[in-house]
Amino acid sequence: MVKLTINGQEVEAGRDSSILDAAKSVGIIIPTLCHLKGLEPYGGCRMCLVEIERVSRLQTACTTKVNEGMAVFTETEQINKARRAMLEFLLINHPLDCPVCDKAGECLLQDYAARFGGSEGRFAEGKRTHPENVNDPFIVRNMQRCILCARCTRMCGEAQGAYAIAVTGRGAHSFVEPFSGDKYNCEYCGNCLTVCPVGAIMSRLHRHSYRPWYVEKEVETVCGFCGVGCTTHLQMRAATIIRTLPKLGTGVNKGLLCVRGRFGYDYVESEGRLKTPMIRVNGVLEPASWEKALAYITTHLKDIKLKHTSKAIGALASGMCSNEDNYMLQKLIRFVIGSNNIDSTARLYYAPAKAYIEKIFGAAATANAISDIEKSDGIFVAGGDPTAINPVLGVQIRAAWRRGAKVVVSGQPGGLGNFINYDLNSVPRHEETVLNTIVIGLAEMKGYSGKNSYIETKIKALRVPCEPELRATGVLLENMEEAVDDLSGLKNPVVVIGPALLQSGIPSKNLFLVAAIAYLIDARVYLLSRKANYRGLIDMGCVPESIPGGLPVRPGQLRLKNGVAMSVPSEKGMNLFEMIEGACNGSLKALYVMGENPIFNLPDREKTEKAMSSLDLLVVQDIFMTETARHAHVVLPAAAWSEKDGTMTNLGGRIQFLRKGSDVPTGRSEWRVIAEIARALGMSETYADSKEVWEEMTQVSVLHSASEYEDIKKGGLMWPYGSVQFQGGAEDFGVEGLEILPAVHHHSSQCSTEPCKLSLLPERSLFHSGSTTRKSKAILSVSPEPYLAINPIEAGRLGLRNDDTVRVKTAKGSAVVTVKIVIDCPEGTVMLSNTFEKVNFNALTGYSVDPVLGCMVLTDNEVNIEKL
Amino acid sequence: MDNTIGAAGGAATGVAATDMAAGDKSRRLKDKIKVLKKLYPHTRSVLLPALYAAQELYGWLGEDALEAVSRLTGVPSAEVKGVVTFYSLYKTRPMGRNVIYLCTNVACFIMGANTLEEFLEKTYGLSHGETTADGRFSLVIMECIGACDKAPAMLVNDDCHFNLTIDNIKAILDNYK
Amino acid sequence: MKNVILRNIENPSSHRIEEYIKAGGYFAIEHALNEMTPRDIIDDIKKSGLRGRGGAGFLTGTKWQFASLDPKFPKYIVCNADEGEPGTFKDRVILERNPHQLIEGMVIAAYALQSVRGYIYVRAEYPQAEKILNEAIKEAYEKGFLGNDIMSKHFRFHLSVHRGAGAYICGEETALINSLEGRRGEPRIKPPFPVNAGAWAKPTIVNNVETFANIPYIIETSPKAYSFLGTKDSPGTKLFCVSGAVNNPGVYELAFGTPLREIIYDHCGGIRGGRALKGVIPGGLSTSILTPDKIDCPMDFASLAKHGSMLGSGAIIVLDDTMCIVKIYERAMRFFEHESCGKCTPCREGTGWMRTILGRIEDGMADMEDLATLEDVALNVAGKTFCPLGDGAAHVLLSAMKHYRGEFEYHVKYKKCEVTDPSHRWGHLSMGELD
Ligand SMILES: Cc1cc2nc3c(=O)[nH]c(=O)nc-3n(C[C@H](O)[C@H](O)[C@H](O)COP(=O)(O)O)c2cc1C
Ligand code: SF4
Ligand code: FES
Repeated sequence: MVKLTINGQEVEAGRDSSILDAAKSVGIIIPTLCHLKGLEPYGGCRMCLVEIERVSRLQTACTTKVNEGMAVFTETEQINKARRAMLEFLLINHPLDCPVCDKAGECLLQDYAARFGGSEGRFAEGKRTHPENVNDPFIVRNMQRCILCARCTRMCGEAQGAYAIAVTGRGAHSFVEPFSGDKYNCEYCGNCLTVCPVGAIMSRLHRHSYRPWYVEKEVETVCGFCGVGCTTHLQMRAATIIRTLPKLGTGVNKGLLCVRGRFGYDYVESEGRLKTPMIRVNGVLEPASWEKALAYITTHLKDIKLKHTSKAIGALASGMCSNEDNYMLQKLIRFVIGSNNIDSTARLYYAPAKAYIEKIFGAAATANAISDIEKSDGIFVAGGDPTAINPVLGVQIRAAWRRGAKVVVSGQPGGLGNFINYDLNSVPRHEETVLNTIVIGLAEMKGYSGKNSYIETKIKALRVPCEPELRATGVLLENMEEAVDDLSGLKNPVVVIGPALLQSGIPSKNLFLVAAIAYLIDARVYLLSRKANYRGLIDMGCVPESIPGGLPVRPGQLRLKNGVAMSVPSEKGMNLFEMIEGACNGSLKALYVMGENPIFNLPDREKTEKAMSSLDLLVVQDIFMTETARHAHVVLPAAAWSEKDGTMTNLGGRIQFLRKGSDVPTGRSEWRVIAEIARALGMSETYADSKEVWEEMTQVSVLHSASEYEDIKKGGLMWPYGSVQFQGGAEDFGVEGLEILPAVHHHSSQCSTEPCKLSLLPERSLFHSGSTTRKSKAILSVSPEPYLAINPIEAGRLGLRNDDTVRVKTAKGSAVVTVKIVIDCPEGTVMLSNTFEKVNFNALTGYSVDPVLGCMVLTDNEVNIEKL
Repeated sequence: MDNTIGAAGGAATGVAATDMAAGDKSRRLKDKIKVLKKLYPHTRSVLLPALYAAQELYGWLGEDALEAVSRLTGVPSAEVKGVVTFYSLYKTRPMGRNVIYLCTNVACFIMGANTLEEFLEKTYGLSHGETTADGRFSLVIMECIGACDKAPAMLVNDDCHFNLTIDNIKAILDNYK
Repeated sequence: MKNVILRNIENPSSHRIEEYIKAGGYFAIEHALNEMTPRDIIDDIKKSGLRGRGGAGFLTGTKWQFASLDPKFPKYIVCNADEGEPGTFKDRVILERNPHQLIEGMVIAAYALQSVRGYIYVRAEYPQAEKILNEAIKEAYEKGFLGNDIMSKHFRFHLSVHRGAGAYICGEETALINSLEGRRGEPRIKPPFPVNAGAWAKPTIVNNVETFANIPYIIETSPKAYSFLGTKDSPGTKLFCVSGAVNNPGVYELAFGTPLREIIYDHCGGIRGGRALKGVIPGGLSTSILTPDKIDCPMDFASLAKHGSMLGSGAIIVLDDTMCIVKIYERAMRFFEHESCGKCTPCREGTGWMRTILGRIEDGMADMEDLATLEDVALNVAGKTFCPLGDGAAHVLLSAMKHYRGEFEYHVKYKKCEVTDPSHRWGHLSMGELD
């Protein structure tokens, strides 16, 4: 600590702190334009000049470090003149078009000019001009207004790692632009526009429609688009979201957002929102009152339970809904109706992966703070591009790399491309050999700790790949060896697992191998989660095998504080796949689907469709008339993300508060509707608000029993939520095909003679996350059309070029789509996203269920591509 | 400006840049950059020399050349653009076969450089940054080129010419076809 | 007068290694490697009192010592051959006529700092110099003065040329380092200084061409012999480059402290056409102008500072009484505007503004209020910029406005120039010849 004085006031500050920070700590505010906490000091704008005793020149407070005994003055005549001068300089070329500038009212230059500026300008020459650029889907650039503080370019590079924009030109001719000079063609995180202090980079979404004083209300909430759980602020005017805004330095995202979170929220106000309940009458869905709709549901549920027992009733929970919604659905099915048939699409990958990892390592293994990733010194990524699936988590990996962390990627690097040390991207189907080699290498380097004999025995049983097998992977052996060297030296390692890991090859083998890597280097594990609340819904008991809090289903009584007892049903529940099967074969008669669209989101659409239409009662509660809702007997309108109060649990286990910006237009959010149905079926409890739901849940769940609601409100609650945790783990677990390796496969030689078989894989795009983003006009403006991503080499073989139209045909179906050549797409595969109504990836493929993990394995995805 | 001129003319180095297939250019650029990388401890540092190499191969630094440099050096393309536009002597647009770099800074200015500027304008229709219709000359007005004792001075391609007057400049330029 | 830098300059092949060796070159390396420790060398350079020739006159020995005390390795040796200060052409002479002396100086520096890698940052405007330098480096490698085992002393040093691309600001050492690293040539925040965190964040010394060229002489003679030349505050000789209105412009190697009068009237043969002296810019365009009454000022760091200017790069631009101050400073300001990197507000916006006002004064379109604005704008830039470029631009204008106030006012009042009539053409040409 050093002592200094600022304006005569004594200040103590850390040795490394700047004058600016020291002044701030005692409430002395020095005006700044280019400075931004979290970015490297820049010293360009010269707004923060201060006087230091015995130093002849004025110094910038943002770049000057404090010194013992320093005497600093921030409000002298000389400084006032300097500030006035800097503002005059900035204004000579800045258009005085504040009345038509969207930034007016929250423009730093405007504020400072009013506070420190002169009263008249002396500039008599012509201003620099630069045409406004409105060609971009999201961003309006008005470079006449730019004051060259370089906050945006530093944000884009230093913080986001996108490096999409740069200051070009020199001197007075400098300005900020992307490479093309026109469209950004970037990740569209929009972080540049949060930091622009003037109106030079603005959002196109509210061009000429936004004024800061239009904001009637601002609420802090979490983004609902993915499992990261970024903190964001909804600025509301009446029931409309004017914009979403991160706050620098707050939340797991520390002020960053991705394209979905920043621009994609407008689906909430889409025309297609459901407005009333509907009941199928004579085969047609017709509007109905809430009373009628709920009466219909309760009578039919009672009937079915009577006729077929509670076993015939099930529900699908939602990763888009809050913990309270999911808890209530679980309560209805499990405690009120008495069936363990509850599951969700987390079954496809997230839930089985989480269960498997926790079986090996214990419940704490997957609960890790996302913001810790950037402090790690090495990250192993397998199974998907984090920058597309969980963008802000991906950005933290980039940040770690920039600080010197080693990044090793097995699989498609995608947006991590420029931030990796070892790219172990193997040819398709040989990832296993690469992982196997790494595990063996690490075991040799690190030896065995003896902590977990199950996993060690299995590692020892692995077969060492031979030379041709290694060659077939397409990854250089030295590369793998060097990666092993680096991985084995890590002090604070992280392993990131994505969905693609379970998609090809043998899921349990792949997951075991990555778990073995995590075990050997003692890493923290993060499971990517496309949906915002997959982890939460599992914790809420929305899986057939465990009750809220994660304890396995054991028949018996659970006693609540008020003396009410709830009994856990004894019958084994059906999971997602079994429910589909059950609906087809008649063992499942009723399904309550909340915020989920299985027909669109599960492969083998034909089968799912058949299942849904075989039910005696299908209730769909959603915000849109989805593919599944069209088959329902009753459709209930739901609350969108911005209309919900409650909590969500992010992929690292952090519980955060979801706050509503406006009320749900139809008056009832999911849990309230479900609670009404439950009461009609005999539940005695009533709830005034979501807090009471939460409090009841904490009595059921051991995991949440010590959590304080007020703490969540304050800014999130980290696992283990105040309670001492049952560790679990170190159980034996299964691995299929432990000793086998994929057969050496001569892909390219085969292709020259016969037409090659390509596998169709899902593309997990940064821009889309399924059924919501396809309703966002903003997102559609940048990614409007489905396309088939194909590797240039495959494209060459097939004679395809960008924008060709092709028919993609599999055993399950066919679709017509345009071609986009993507270098990142692996050889031997083509990718299609599952986003657009007209081209449904899942209608083209089938699935089977992995016998060990119980996750989904894609089948029938060999495609023929025919140029039209 | 006629865009075909500079591209066809190539740089002063005389490589008929457009005769080379795009793939060929990028392969040769890759080889050159490989050599350059040995000179620096970090790849990023090859950027300035790599841009010169690209300029030689492509004739000038258009989008394709900059993208090739970006790909081969790993420097994001927006940053490459930021760098190339900071410096005033990269050819960011097509240029004539011969480039006249005329110094007009104070020492040359007081010795009459502005008269030479007018002369070039009158005789060849050349002003700063422009190229003659036949693609023979481009003019770049320079700050000090370090020949103040023999002012006014100019560079034509890589050759220095000193003590210029209206009488001798024409004869000098006649040597450049 | 003793020639330190330009010895052997009469020899037309002075740039060839054989000629350099014949004249006693590369003896200093041998001496240094055989008989001196790195520390001895730094001590000698400190004792010699050698001051940097790039403009600021920083003590070279002290700079080297700072870098050598930093525990980080590798260390880098960078030669600043970006010579961009208008009026300066001294480094070019060394690069083209005596490149080996520079190389020798850099190798000695490398040995003193235990550095294995050096770069010479040559401006793009010097293609000839770059060619000759590359040739010289090749020769030095062949003769074993560069490479993996220099003079079989297990000492390794590699050197190569890095070409700039037309940016004056890259002469500023931190901007130069950015440019060397493949970035925009914007200056960096100091501290950290290059001696601690320069190129690739490693200790780096950046020295001017002329500074390095002095090293062999100091090593082969002695610090004492060196400080015997010049003045106490500014030991050694200096390359003065004289241009403008003199009869014999050129580069002159003279002892520090030589009076300006002697340089102009004795060495350069006096003012062209026997005209009267109007003023002298003594150290390159970024130094303040001296009026004729300061003609007896000794040319060394301290004396020039005393006279309100700076030695800078030693580029003397002589103005005679036919020349218009307003026009010259308008041209000068155009230079600063063109070369401003754009990072900081006052320089980016202020230089252009000052240039436009100067243009209006020159064109007879300004009033007294503009003159006041001009002065105030210059004051608003001065002392507030990120690096010395913008600062210098403002200061030189302020000094011109102070010393030649009358001329500025005449322009404003009478809408024409006091010294040149409107039909007057600058230089030795007239527009008549054009038609
Ligand atoms: C705007 C500006 C331009 C400069 N240009 C040059 C230059 O062209 N050559 C040079 O040697 N030093 C130049 N310098 C000085 C360098 O920053 C640095 O001080 C010098 O290279 C150090 O070498 P020395 O200690 O040998 O003088 C410049 C400084 C500034 C602020
Ligand atoms: S004074 Fe400022 S704008 Fe000018 S060159 Fe220096 S840093 Fe750049
Ligand atoms: S905030 Fe310090 S210079 Fe901009």
